[in-house]
Amino acid sequence: MFKMILKLAWNNAFLRLSRTLLVIIMIAVSMSMMLSIQGIYDGMTLNMVNSALRSDSGEISIYNKNYRLDKQIVNDIQNAGEICADLENNPSVKAVSVRYSVEGLSATARKASFSNIIGIDLEEEEKFGAFSKFLKEGEISFEKRGALLGAELAKTLKVRIGSKLIFSTQDKSGDINSIALKVRGIIQTNNLVIDQRALYIERKQLYEFLGVDTNTATQIAIRTDDDALINTIKKEYSEQEVKSFLELNPLLKQMEDMMVIFNSITFTIVMLVVFIGILGVMYVSILDRIREFGIMRGIGMAYNHLRTQIFLEALFVGLAGYSVGAILGFFALYYLQETGLNLSTYAEGMASFGMPTIIYAHQEFSYYSNTFYAIVLSSLLSVLLPLRKIKHLHPIDVIKADT
Amino acid sequence: MIRLQNVNKYFFKDDPREVHALRDINLEIKKGEFSALIGPSGCGKTTLLNVIGALDSINSGKIYLESREITALNEKESTELRLHEMGFVFQAYNLVPVLSVAENIAFIMRLRGFPESQINERVLEVATLLEIDHKLDALPNTLSGGQQQRVAVARAVASKPKIILADEPTANLDSKNSQILMDMMRMLNEKEEVTILFASHDEYVINSVNRIIKMNDGALVD
Repeated sequence: MFKMILKLAWNNAFLRLSRTLLVIIMIAVSMSMMLSIQGIYDGMTLNMVNSALRSDSGEISIYNKNYRLDKQIVNDIQNAGEICADLENNPSVKAVSVRYSVEGLSATARKASFSNIIGIDLEEEEKFGAFSKFLKEGEISFEKRGALLGAELAKTLKVRIGSKLIFSTQDKSGDINSIALKVRGIIQTNNLVIDQRALYIERKQLYEFLGVDTNTATQIAIRTDDDALINTIKKEYSEQEVKSFLELNPLLKQMEDMMVIFNSITFTIVMLVVFIGILGVMYVSILDRIREFGIMRGIGMAYNHLRTQIFLEALFVGLAGYSVGAILGFFALYYLQETGLNLSTYAEGMASFGMPTIIYAHQEFSYYSNTFYAIVLSSLLSVLLPLRKIKHLHPIDVIKADT
Repeated sequence: MIRLQNVNKYFFKDDPREVHALRDINLEIKKGEFSALIGPSGCGKTTLLNVIGALDSINSGKIYLESREITALNEKESTELRLHEMGFVFQAYNLVPVLSVAENIAFIMRLRGFPESQINERVLEVATLLEIDHKLDALPNTLSGGQQQRVAVARAVASKPKIILADEPTANLDSKNSQILMDMMRMLNEKEEVTILFASHDEYVINSVNRIIKMNDGALVD
């Protein structure tokens, strides 16, 4: 019997082909647009998160307890070498970067800007966050007092590859000390703090310049996939300040939450479109066939069987729309993943939010599975109202109307 | 088989438009009868057929199908009764347009959960009897009126109900098809021993049945 109900539902769902196709197209187009928007939103957020993870904090960062409040040399981590060695032995740790950072003034003959000099090890940074991929101009090299500048800082100082600049700051003894540097490369991380202020030099050179011990660091950043690692590290290095990525980047967390809200709103609107679309087509279809349903009930078909038939009809329309929408959405997202969405027209605005001008979409299975469940639910809910018509239908009314 | 005791039916009861559609009907239809309710338009034939078929309610009286009082059934039980005990043939055929002839004939049997092998066998048997076996794969809208009505009869008879109620089955057919249909229904009545009650004023029906039940103004006429 179920086979017969299935056939009835299938044939009736596509009986008025043009009407059904219209709803399928409506569902497919709105769904593919929703998937694209969702992919772009998530792509934007992930891009920012990824930049921040790779260029700065990693998933976990360790600081001296006082450092983030008072960024003085005295507030550095004294046993950075031991901590780093311990972490590298931890199987949950994918990469570690030891950095030494001091605030100071970068100056050229004509311009000066407040900046952060950061001493890094290029090999470590490459492993930590594929540092070389941030290169915008020049080369990744610290040779002959070479320095790498954030793109915005380079703009402010009006320097190019090969330009010279002086960085001045207070060294460990409290004296103002300066170092002459040559711009080897300009990097763009899309992490605003880095791009506007960072001046990278070799870590050893910075230790020497500041006169600090080589076993010290202002930040030890860790890459890991293990969410529980932070608790272990917090316990183990309780004398230091251990912060997670989200604790260090509350704005990104807010942005992530905002994107979830945007996505939810888009999702709800699209599901409403699906709901109204199917409701409309099913309502009209049921009104068209009210006599047929009356006769079916008259000859003994139970309401439950008719309800199953109507649910299946709506489901077929919804799933047909879903299938086309999923295919369209997949290709749209694939294109946006590969080619990206070029927003160079809004380059300045995007840069002020720390976003690249080309946004690459993100795509994951949950987009399709969540939409699937929502469309199934919308389809089923959309027939509740039309079903009331059938539930309250007395066969005699249509039979009388017939005669 | 069917017994009606003092059945009264009003439309628009306690309303200025009140119509006393069935007046104190007392009637018995025996198993295997081939009978017809006849009378002028508006005399209550269809209403009587509908109340016997548990499609419509009555205001007073009782109707029994064998020993079961059908007027005491709720909506769900009435639907079950119609499915299991009765077959219906309507003036407008009322086939399911998206199902083939074979599927239409098998419709009630499938709802009743007959095994597929039995359904296939019975569909072929009934379709052969009604000479529509060559149209089993066709859709109803490709058939003539006479053929569609034969499919409707086949659907009603296939599940071997206790009684078939046929309301003006020949009304949309020409004389030739009316005669063919009545001959076939008579043959089914004899061969399958199915009780058939018509409501009609068609002479082909009147001339074919064994028993005529006359009605006028909602009452049976001697």
